[in-house]
Formats: sequence, C-alpha cells, structure tokens
Amino acid sequence: MLPMVSFQDVSLSYHSLGGETRAVSHLSFTVAEGEFVSIVGPSGCGKSTILSMLAGLFPPSAGSVRVNGTIGYMLQKDHLLEWRTIRSNIFLGLEIQGKATKENKSFAEELLKKYGLWEFRDHFPAQLSGGMRQRAALIRTLVLSPDLLLLDEPFSALDYQTRLSVADEIGTIIRQEGKTAILVSHDISEAISLSDRVIVLSGRPARLKKIHTIELSVEERTPMKAREAPEFREYFNQIWKELDVHVA
Amino acid sequence: MWREIKQPAMSQAQARFLKELRLRRWAVRVTQWVFLVGFLLLWEMAANREWIDPFLCSQPTEIWRTAVEMAQNGMLWAHIGTTLWETAAGFLLGTVLGVMVAVLLWWNSFVSEVAEPYLVVLNAVPKTALAPIIIVWLGNNQTSVIAVALLTSVVVTIMTVLNGFLQTEEEKIKLIRVFGGTKWQIFQKVVFPANIPCMMNALKINVGLSFVGVIVGEFLVAQKGLGFLIIYGSQVFKLSWVLMSVVILSVLAAILYKAIACLEKFVLRKRQ
Ligand SMILES: Nc1ncnc2c1ncn2[C@@H]1O[C@H](COP(=O)(O)OP(=O)(O)OP(=O)(O)O)[C@@H](O)[C@H]1O
Ligand SMILES: [Mg+2]
Repeated sequence: MLPMVSFQDVSLSYHSLGGETRAVSHLSFTVAEGEFVSIVGPSGCGKSTILSMLAGLFPPSAGSVRVNGTIGYMLQKDHLLEWRTIRSNIFLGLEIQGKATKENKSFAEELLKKYGLWEFRDHFPAQLSGGMRQRAALIRTLVLSPDLLLLDEPFSALDYQTRLSVADEIGTIIRQEGKTAILVSHDISEAISLSDRVIVLSGRPARLKKIHTIELSVEERTPMKAREAPEFREYFNQIWKELDVHVA
Repeated sequence: MWREIKQPAMSQAQARFLKELRLRRWAVRVTQWVFLVGFLLLWEMAANREWIDPFLCSQPTEIWRTAVEMAQNGMLWAHIGTTLWETAAGFLLGTVLGVMVAVLLWWNSFVSEVAEPYLVVLNAVPKTALAPIIIVWLGNNQTSVIAVALLTSVVVTIMTVLNGFLQTEEEKIKLIRVFGGTKWQIFQKVVFPANIPCMMNALKINVGLSFVGVIVGEFLVAQKGLGFLIIYGSQVFKLSWVLMSVVILSVLAAILYKAIACLEKFVLRKRQ
C-alpha cells in the first residue's frame, strides 16, 4: 500500500539578502494512512518548514515530497477571522474551494453540533475562549474532509490547563474521524500521548535523529489515559535526552 | 420610581463614585459653555464700547443678523450646499480612488516599488499649491474645486491604505493559501476586510483634508460657496460675512466628522 506521505531525501534552503539558511537536510520518512505522527525538534530547527512543503506552499530544494490525498492545515494560532461569525468562519474553506453547497454546509453545521459549538455559531471569535476557538479552527479544517491533517503546534497559544484538555479533545476528535495526522510540537508529553510514532529531529538544519514507535499498555488509547501508561516516562526520558544533546 | 426598585442594590461607595463622576462631567460642560458665552459677551461689549474696531472685528450680533438675513433670502443655503457637495464629492472620490490605486499597488509589488519614491514626494507637496494648475487645466468651475479636494486626500489615502494592506497578518494569508485560495481570494477574504478599519480611518482624515481643498479651490474659482463668501467678504470689507462663513465651516466640519464616526461605529459594530 502506498504511504499517505513520503519524504525522500528532502533538503530545503531559504534564500534572503542575509544569505542562505539551510532549514532541512536529507530528511526521509513516511506516514501510513490512519497514523498519528508527531514531529519534535529544537526550536527553529525547521519543523514548520516541513509542514509548509507538505502543504505545497513551496517545493523542496532537493529530494521529493509526496502526499497521497487532500490536506487540512491547522496553524499555530487559530486565525479565525474576527469579522466573521463562527459559522461563517468554518465555511471559509468551502467558499474558497467553491464547494459551499447546501450539503457541505450542513455537514459543517453537524460538526459544530457534534463538537459543542452549535450554541456559539452566531458568536464572533472574540467572544469565545481559547479552547473553543481552537476547536472551531479544527472544525474549519475538518469541514473539507481532508485525508491528512497537518497541525503546527496548535495548542501552544493556550495556558497549560486548557492545553491539556484541548489536546485531549482534539486528539480524540482526530481519532474519531479516522484521520491521518502530523503534529508538530514542542511538548514531548503531548507528542507521546497523542501519537503512534514520534519523529525526533536534530537542530537546524533538521535531520532525522530517531523515530519512536509508541506502544503503550492502556486499554483505551486516549491522550489522557496515555499519560498514565507505565511506558510513558521511559519514552519521555529517551526523547528528552535526544533533544537535549544540542543544548549542552 | 419603579425602575429603581428593580435595579440591583449598589454599594454606597459605588454610588458615591458615580455621583462624583457625574458631577465632574457636568462641571466640565458648564465651564465650557461659560467660556463660550463669556467670550461672545466680551466680544460684543468690546465692539459696542469701541475697545476694538467693529469695522475690522465685527461683532456677534452683527454676524447673527447677517446670517439670518442671508438665510431668509436663500443665499446662505446655496453657498452651504455648494461647499458641502464639493467637499463630499472630493473626499468620497479621493478615498475611493485612493483605495483603488492601493489595491493595484498591493497586487503588483514591482509597480509599488517603482511608485514608492514618487508617492513620498507627492505626499510631501502641499496639494493646494497645485490648485492654480488644476484650474488652468479644468477651467474656472466647480469641477476644478472638486479636483483640488480630491487631490488633497488621494495620495495620503493611497499611502495609508497600501501600508495597511501590506501589514495584513502573514499567517492569515497563509490560511487562505493553504485552502488553495487565489490572490484575488486572499484579497477578498482577508486583506480587504482586515483593513476596513484602516479605510474608515482614511475617510475620517479625508473629510478634513477635503474641506481645506474645497475652500482653497473656492478662493480661486470664486463663484459660489463659503470659500467664495470668505474671499469676497474680505475684499469688500464685510467682516461679518467672513466670520459667519468661518463659524459655519467649523460646524459643518464637526458634523461631517461626527457622521463619519457614526458610520464607522456602525460598520465596525461587530468587531472587538
Ligand atoms: N521565509 C524564510 N526566509 C528565511 N529563513 C527562514 C524563513 N522561514 C524560516 N526561516 C528560517 O528557517 C529555520 C527553520 O524555520 P521553521 O519555522 O521551519 O522552524 P521551526 O522548527 O518551525 O521553529 P519553531 O520551533 O520556532 O516553530 C529558522 O531558523 C528560520 O529562521
Ligand atoms: Mg514553527
């Protein structure tokens, strides 16, 4: 079976007046359908760059990037348009792709109901809490039924308490919808608790350091339960060490 | 009385605070009026007792008499109407044209880079200095007055609105690009709506600028309008005409500004 995502020997450099910045170097990995994969790496190593290439915003300088399906991208901040109501915000993707049909709109409204935002449909983003806004942003991406979800530190704007519950919520939603997902995160526990595999990158330029397959002995694989698994600490320490090397 | 019973109980401290606040506001209002009335009375008295020359300085009652007289024979309304129409046409055209040029420059970054130094220089030129040229080109008529008004506001509109467009949050643009949006959609869905506050602001500034342009234009074209009344009044030493026109102009400017501010509030009512 074809993988959903394949990165083969990908390199990328940014060019600016100040010179050339190598952001990604000879990176290879694949992601299978239905998998939840996290990418962790030191700050500024090139994680967002990887997602941008996946989203087709620019091609790699060398190597090949293949994605077998449609993409939904969730950015670091929710970026809900403050002049639109929540309902109108989640229609944005449909409008842009010329798919604002009755069926698609009612599917979007179903999602709002399913994930507890229906009462807030006519509210403006500023009237919602950070967690609710993030959920609205996820719904905005899910509305287009993408095969692959790209999540670029979608929880980093939230405070710790909210962050835990929103990560749990959104992780559960994504599994429930059976989506393939790639999550970029600074937070090791978040990455482990949500993912089937964790890709650890080196400092800039991003190189593959290690891929961990996360196997946890819990009955029900929800992010909250995952944190209580006995193996959790072990993965955490290992990844922590791998990331820490460059700080020393 | 009934309403007071329904209202939730208020602490004494809060009640005292509100009372003091109200009292202070009232005091400010009263003082403002006292100053205005005092100034007018002093002026009137000074003119009556010939501390100042009433021929050169006129006096409030004289100005009022002139205004009533001109209002009755309809002259006043014709002049006000002319000036208002020219001003409105000037700032609306200036804003619309300015926004349109800003859109073109946003669309094509090469053109905007080429245009930048010219815009900076044009912006620095006192536009009213160009008024005589406009009149030579367009003739001694109302079109020229409107053109001068337009000219005063268009360049600054281009610059502020373009600046607003260019400062639109990159990430919001990325959002549209990720959805596969075209450049036109980026403009339509994000750049334009995000800059409506900026454009409303330009409209507000342009009201004032347009008045300046219209008055200068009317000085030169000298057929009709409050600017004409001012220049003509000064030539025939009718100082009460001049001062009356100035007062009316201030009131008109304040009303127009207020109207735009209300429009702005209405357009932006849903935003935080
Ligand atoms: N458009 C650009 N032009 C030039 N350099 C860039 C550009 N975008 C990113 N870079 C540089 O490339 C490197 C990788 O950037 P990237 O945003 O992918 O890192 P990141 O891992 O997502 O960082 P963070 O953890 O802070 O989100 C950084 O050093 C950054 O300064
Ligand atoms: Mg990043």
